[in-house]
Formats: sequence, C-alpha cells, structure tokens
Amino acid sequence: MSIRNYRRLLTAMFLTAGIVALLASAQGDDLDKRLQDAEANRVALIEQVKKPVIAVLAPGGQGGGSGVLITEDGYALTNFHVAAAIGSYFHCGLATGEMYDAVLVGLDRAGDLALIKLIQKKDREVKFPVATLGDSDKLQPGDWTLALGNPLLLATDFNPTVTYGMVSGTHRYQKIPHPTGTLLEYCDCIQVDTAINPGNSGGPLFNMQGEFVGINSAGSLGKSDRINSGAAYSISVNMIKNFLGQLRAGMECDHATLGADVEPENEEGGVGRLIVKRVVTGSEVDRRGLAVDDQLVSFAGWPLTNINQYKNKLGIYPKGWRVPLVFRHETTDRREVLVRLPGRRPDVIPDNRTDNPTADAETTPPPLPPPPAGTDAAKLYEGKLGFANYYFNKLERKRLMDAFHAKGDFSGLRGDWTMKAACTLGKKISTAQIAVKAPTKEDKSEKIVADVDLVGYTVDPLSTETKLEDLALPKGSGGLLVALYQYRQLLAFGDKGFSGEFSHGGVEPFYPPLPGDAGPDYIKQRVMCEVLRTQLAGVPAKWYFSKGDGSLLGFEVVVDRDDDPCEVYLSEYHQEEGRSLPGRMEVRYKDKTYAVLNGINWKLEPVK
Amino acid sequence: MNRLVRIGALLAPAVLLFTAAARADDSLTKVAEEVNKKMVKVWGSGGLHGLPAFGTGIVVSPDGYILTANTQLLDTRDLRVHLWDGSKYHGEVVAQEPELDIALIKIGNDKDKVEDLPYFDLAEAAKRPPVDVGAGVLAFSNAFEIATRDDPVSVQHAVVTAFAKLQGRNGFYEMPFTGKVYMVDAVTNNPGAAGGALTTRKGELIGVIGRGLKNELTGTWMNYSIPVSAAVQVKQPDGKTATASMIDLLLRKNKYTKINPDSKPGEGYAAYTGIVLVAEPVDITPPYIEDVIPGSPAAAAGLKSDDLIVYVGGVSVKTIDAYKELIKHYPPNQKIQLEVRRGDMLTTIELTPTEPPKKH
Repeated sequence: MSIRNYRRLLTAMFLTAGIVALLASAQGDDLDKRLQDAEANRVALIEQVKKPVIAVLAPGGQGGGSGVLITEDGYALTNFHVAAAIGSYFHCGLATGEMYDAVLVGLDRAGDLALIKLIQKKDREVKFPVATLGDSDKLQPGDWTLALGNPLLLATDFNPTVTYGMVSGTHRYQKIPHPTGTLLEYCDCIQVDTAINPGNSGGPLFNMQGEFVGINSAGSLGKSDRINSGAAYSISVNMIKNFLGQLRAGMECDHATLGADVEPENEEGGVGRLIVKRVVTGSEVDRRGLAVDDQLVSFAGWPLTNINQYKNKLGIYPKGWRVPLVFRHETTDRREVLVRLPGRRPDVIPDNRTDNPTADAETTPPPLPPPPAGTDAAKLYEGKLGFANYYFNKLERKRLMDAFHAKGDFSGLRGDWTMKAACTLGKKISTAQIAVKAPTKEDKSEKIVADVDLVGYTVDPLSTETKLEDLALPKGSGGLLVALYQYRQLLAFGDKGFSGEFSHGGVEPFYPPLPGDAGPDYIKQRVMCEVLRTQLAGVPAKWYFSKGDGSLLGFEVVVDRDDDPCEVYLSEYHQEEGRSLPGRMEVRYKDKTYAVLNGINWKLEPVK
Repeated sequence: MNRLVRIGALLAPAVLLFTAAARADDSLTKVAEEVNKKMVKVWGSGGLHGLPAFGTGIVVSPDGYILTANTQLLDTRDLRVHLWDGSKYHGEVVAQEPELDIALIKIGNDKDKVEDLPYFDLAEAAKRPPVDVGAGVLAFSNAFEIATRDDPVSVQHAVVTAFAKLQGRNGFYEMPFTGKVYMVDAVTNNPGAAGGALTTRKGELIGVIGRGLKNELTGTWMNYSIPVSAAVQVKQPDGKTATASMIDLLLRKNKYTKINPDSKPGEGYAAYTGIVLVAEPVDITPPYIEDVIPGSPAAAAGLKSDDLIVYVGGVSVKTIDAYKELIKHYPPNQKIQLEVRRGDMLTTIELTPTEPPKKH
C-alpha cells in the first residue's frame, strides 16, 4: 500500500468515523429519549394500576393470595381457591399499606371466583381505588400485559409485585380439580407467559391501556413444581361480567350446561363440526327440537368449530341464562332458538305444590366457615344453604324492591284487580277481561275469573285441588291466569306475597319482542335485567327489572316444571294515580306469541 | 474500518428493534397470527413416564412437509396432525435424523391432496446468519396440549441468552444434538413444545424448540432451540461421514432414512446378535423379541423376551422387515444402539454383534 493510498484510506476512515459518530449520537439520543419515555409511561401506568390491587390474607393465619377492587364501596374480586383456604373473613392489605377487614359476598366455585367486600373503618369512610373493567375479547396473542399481586407473599407492606409478559393465547380451556371436590374450569381464559407464581392467585391482569382484563388464577405445572412454567391462566373479565350480578347477590353460582352432549365429528380433513350425540329427554333443547346427529353451529352468538370453543362458551354463562342457539337439523334445516340453560348441579325439584327450599344439602356445597363472632364481618354475614352470604342477597333484594316501589305503591290495593284489554290472538282481534278476586268473608279462597276471547275461566291458583292443566289456562298461554295472579301478589304484597323463595337472582339477559312484525333478532332484543326469583304454591317465577330505570320489563311463571313457562312482556307504561302501570302485555309460550293485550284498562281496588 | 463497520452494524439493528417495539403491540399480534398459520399440533405415541403424547410441528412446504423434533411421539402408526384452520390429517414420518434430533412428517396423499399451505421457506431461513445474543425472540408451540383443531398455538416472548455448544457439559445433559443451540431466558421447552418454532420478532424462523432436557447436576431444565442452519456430520454404516441438516431432510425426503440407498435387499453383513424375533405372520408385525439365545451378544446386553425394538441406531423401526433391513448394515463388532420398550419403559441398550457362531 502506497503512502498516498494509505492517507486516502485514513481520510475515508476518519470521515466514516465522523459520520458514524454523528449518526450514533443522533440515534443514541433519540433512542435514549424514546426508551426513557416508554419506560416512564410504563412506570406511570404501573403506579396507577397498582392502587386497586390488594393482598387477601387469612386473619392471624398463614397463606393468602391477591385481589382487585372493582367498586368504590369496597367490592373486590379474588379466586374461590384463595377464599376457600381462608373462609368468609379476610384481612386485606392495600397498596398504601393500610389493612382492612373483609367479608365473603359471593362464590363461583367452578369458575374459581369469589367476590368479597372490604369493610369501612369506623372513624372514616373512604372511596376505594378501583380497576377499570376492560374487554378481554379484544386481547390477542402477542399483546403485552401486566400482572399485579402478592406472589410468594413477598411484600409485607402490600405494595404489589408487578410482572410483565405476553398474551400467549386467548379463548383457552383448562380444568384443574380442587380439593373441595369442585372441578375448577377456566373457560375462555387468557393464557400468558407473564410470570405468575403462588400468591398471585386472585390478582388482576392488566392490558397496556391499564384496563383490568383478567384474574390470574393458575399455571400449567411445568417441570418445576408450582413455580412459573411460562404458561399461566387468567380468568377473562368478560366471563366475570356474566357472573358479577349473581356474585353481588351473595349467591353460590352454578355454571350452565346444555341438556345435550356434543362431540366433535371424527373425520379426517375438513374443518371440525360439532355433532349432538345425546339429548336429555324433556330438556328445553329437546322441546326446541334439537336431536341426535344435529350439528351445533353457534352458541350464544359464538360460532363453534371445535370442542374447546364449545366448552369455553358454555362455561362462561351462569345457570338459568337464556341464550340463542343455532343448529342444523338433517344437515340442511338451519334453526335458531332461545334456550334457558340448566345448571350443572342437579336441580332440586320440590313437590309440585309445596314451597321446599330451592337448595338441597346433597347437591349444594356447604357454605365456607362463617366469620368469627364479634368481628365486623360477622354483622355482614348470614349463612343459608345455596348462598355464599345471604346477607348480601337481602341487601340487593331490598335495593331492587325499593327502586321498584318508588315507581308506585300498590300496598293499599289488596282487593280485586281487573284488567280489560283488546286482545290479539294470532290474526284474530278479540277482547280479554281478567280479574283477580281477593278473598271475601263468604269465600276465603282467592280466584281468577276471566273471559278471554269469549271463553270464560275460573281458577283457584292456590288450591291443591286445582289440576295442572287448569293452572296452565288459557290453553296455549302456558298459564297466563296464574301469571297475572302472581303479578298482583308482587305489586300489592311484595315479599309478603310469596310463601316460598323471594330472592335476588343476579343479572340475566331478557328478550322483549321487537315492535312490529320483524322476525326475532336476539342480539338486538337482549336487555340485561336484574332478576327477582319467587315461589308461591309450588310455582316458581322470575321477574326481570331493567338495569337502567328499575322498571319491570316482564316475568316468567313456571306452572309445569316439565314444560315451558308463560312469558309476559310489559310495555307502554303510563302513570295512574302516581303509579306506573303497563298499557301493553305480550304473552308468549314456547317459541310463539300467544296473545297481545293492548290498551289495558286497570281497575285496582283496595280491600272491601 | 472493520471495527467501525461493526459498530454501525450493531447500531442499526438496535434502532430497528426499538422502532419495532415502539410501533408496538399490533405488529407482534400480527406476527403471532401469521406464524400460527405455519404451525401444526401433533398427536402420537406417549403418555407414560412424563413423555407427552402431543407435540408441535412447523410447516416447511406448501404440499404438507412438516418439521418436528425426533421424539418418541413419532413411534406410532396413528400420527395425527391439526392445521391452524382446524383441518385434521394423518401424518407419515418420512425422515428422521437422530444426530439433529429432527424429523420430517408428511401430511396428505394423492387421494387427499394438501396444497397451498402457509409455510416457512427452510432454505431461506437456513441461509440467515444466527441472531445475536440479547435479541428478542418469540417461541411458538403447543406446550401442555392447550390447543386443538383451530385453536392457535401458544406464543411466548424470550431473549436469546446464549448461542453455544452444549457439548462441554455433555455429561450433564442427555443431549442428542451436539452443535450450537439457542438458549433463551423463558420457559419454552415445556411438555409438548418440542418441534415448535423459535422466530425473530418479525416472525422469521430461526430454530426448532428441542425436547425437555434436564441438567442432572443442577436439576434445572434447559430451554433451547436447534438452529435451522444446524448441520452435523453423520457417520454412515459404511464408515463414511455425510453432512446432515434440516434442509437435507426436506430435499431428500423419504430417501433420507435409507442408510445405504444403494444396497439391495439380501445384501449386507450377517453379524450375530442372538435375538430371536417373533414369527412374522404379516409383513407389518412389530419387532418383538421372542427369545434371547443364552451366551449371545443380546443376552450380554441384557435384552429379554417380550422387549419391543423401537429404534435401531436412532432410526425408528416399526416392522420386523424394517428391523432386518437396518440390522444387516451393521458389521460384526460395531456397536448397535437399540431403544427397546419393556413394559411401559423405553430403555437404551448397546449391543455389539459378533461373527456368526460356527455351526457344528
């Protein structure tokens, strides 16, 4: 190499070095700043999301887990398996280091959920920090997440531990047997590689917008026992939303089943189809025409292509919810029907005309141990079979009934009730007059006296002498007369009007028919309602109250437990002497409209 | 100069990586979605002694060739493969390379043609230089059998912590592959993950997730992937060595397992083992040992009647025919490694055949 060449090379090197150095400094600063910004944003996000995170601990004992506050008055979610190890009374540590007592509210054993309530301190009432509920169906594999909680119970000051990781899969199905005999099923859950360790259980998973999207609950047992294996599962917040109404009502939630066994079609190639293998005789799907060898196309609006998806979607609904089902009969005939989902725990069928308790010791798990006497938690606890904490059911029931009574006080009107209306039966227009007669000195029994489309009826709704087919009158209505009798009971007598159950049933979807002749559109029809469950003379009923304004949108009365209920949909509410009354009733039975009562004229009398 | 270029080269990917991260999350969800289409879920033999009956595979051709780990999973006639869209196929093992710990499966046939599958271009992937230590990567697998039919496989994030040979610690691991592997900081090698994909954060294939291996000294489990560019020298029974790589498996397909493709039936060595196989009523009878001749090499090696020979020299044998075809290539005094199933256990047995005993 000549000197000149060498010098040229040196110059080139110098220039290159200069350019690279310049580039390096520019990019370096830029990189630095953006890294710092990203980190600062993450730190700020963690600072926010950690506030509603709590440590859930056994008072005076060992062990515990995590939880997350979801209301300012102190309701918090955790896992059933965390609560089950402690009982109904907890000590909860906030991120600030403060400690609160808490009491069990509701349980969903199969879904591994527990709702607890932190108890305000006597000297001052606070607004608890709350997590914002996100939409877990929007999560995708590859999204980043934050898990907060108290893994290995490391933080003695309850300042939660944060781990950062990736969504590995969504809509996962996992099941784990629990020592209490319950099978914990994580349906439609979120799989993350975010480190989840013992003690994280019950704590929240957040997306990077800081929304609460799941409850960290379990991990696959890897080769290293119990410690993070790179695959952990978080209960999706969208499933939690379905159960929240029942949890708040202090219930022992049960998950839904279908009333039919479904299996994947076993054939090579092609995309999977789900085939009905068995239908429970007399179940609602049986009554709606689902048969062996039919193909299940969609469930509750979710298209189904594999068995995990079916188990996933079935598992995210509480017992009793009514959802649309699409199936193909004999490969060509596509049908869409609404079905009420039976529970997994066997139903207890009381004698037809008595009011046995709805829960049975053999099929209902025993409640968790009550809070110790003398604690504040004990004042907020009432044990009752079938409920995690009946105290909270009474609380929810009172709130619901107070809001309803604000729309009209009918307690002074316990005499005869008469309604007259124009009545449309199919294409025929006729009239209906239905009267509920209060007992008199001469006749101690109550009676429904009616004239529907020129046919007269007299039914005693309470007498054990009354035949089942008479209770179901008029024919084709499923029991409209008894339904209206029970309607008067609710309005005029409230909880006193029902000798059997009178409890809050959580939140359920309700499907008032659309106005006009448009066919069914269950997504459009669906209204989420608070439910009241009642039972009188062996006849159970469910009452649906709008979550919006508390008005009664309709009710279902089950005259024959092996048959469909009489559904009554109320609308065109108007004021009559300071009381809100419906001007229109649509009566449905099975999947048809029986009658529409229009321009209802109410005559409500006090006791004579 | 060289040094400066290197600085530049180091800088560039750092900035690229960062922009990828800053563009953030939807790019990774897209990568996860695209890679998933090239992944399959595999079901086969296993279920005993912690050996999973499920695994993962990577589609490497549009007509249905699939790369996976060479595990006991493949030791079955009923290998089932689920594609990303939920379609289900019967899989045939077409080639196995024990030195790489990799096998090739084929789905579809003339009757049930498979075409236009999304796939990784293996040749392209093998040409890429190894990724740097410290690089962020993604791992895709059906660990814990969490997915079936059209459920997507799991995706995990990890950082490459080493690109190194494990040979130095060979005594601690039962390591079938002795070349350099990618080690990562996440728990990627869970049950069922073997045969999964290690990719860059852009979704480029860089490795095949290995089977679960334990360091016998520390009791820790290894999270490693075999690089797609891995090549090993494989000793042939004729004494010659040949280079073997993943791409070789794909290029030679079902010709690959033939150890000596030129040999004609009936030829080969007549070394003596002392193994008496069961009578062969049909041509697919599995190679069960009927009897072991006392004092023979088989007796010395500890073989017993009712043992089922599963592998000969790392090659799976499903029939007596396949066993005979393989065994005749071993000359006297050359060790034969046999995997036999005894009851529920898989046992490795080394047998050194001798010259046939002289007849009296």
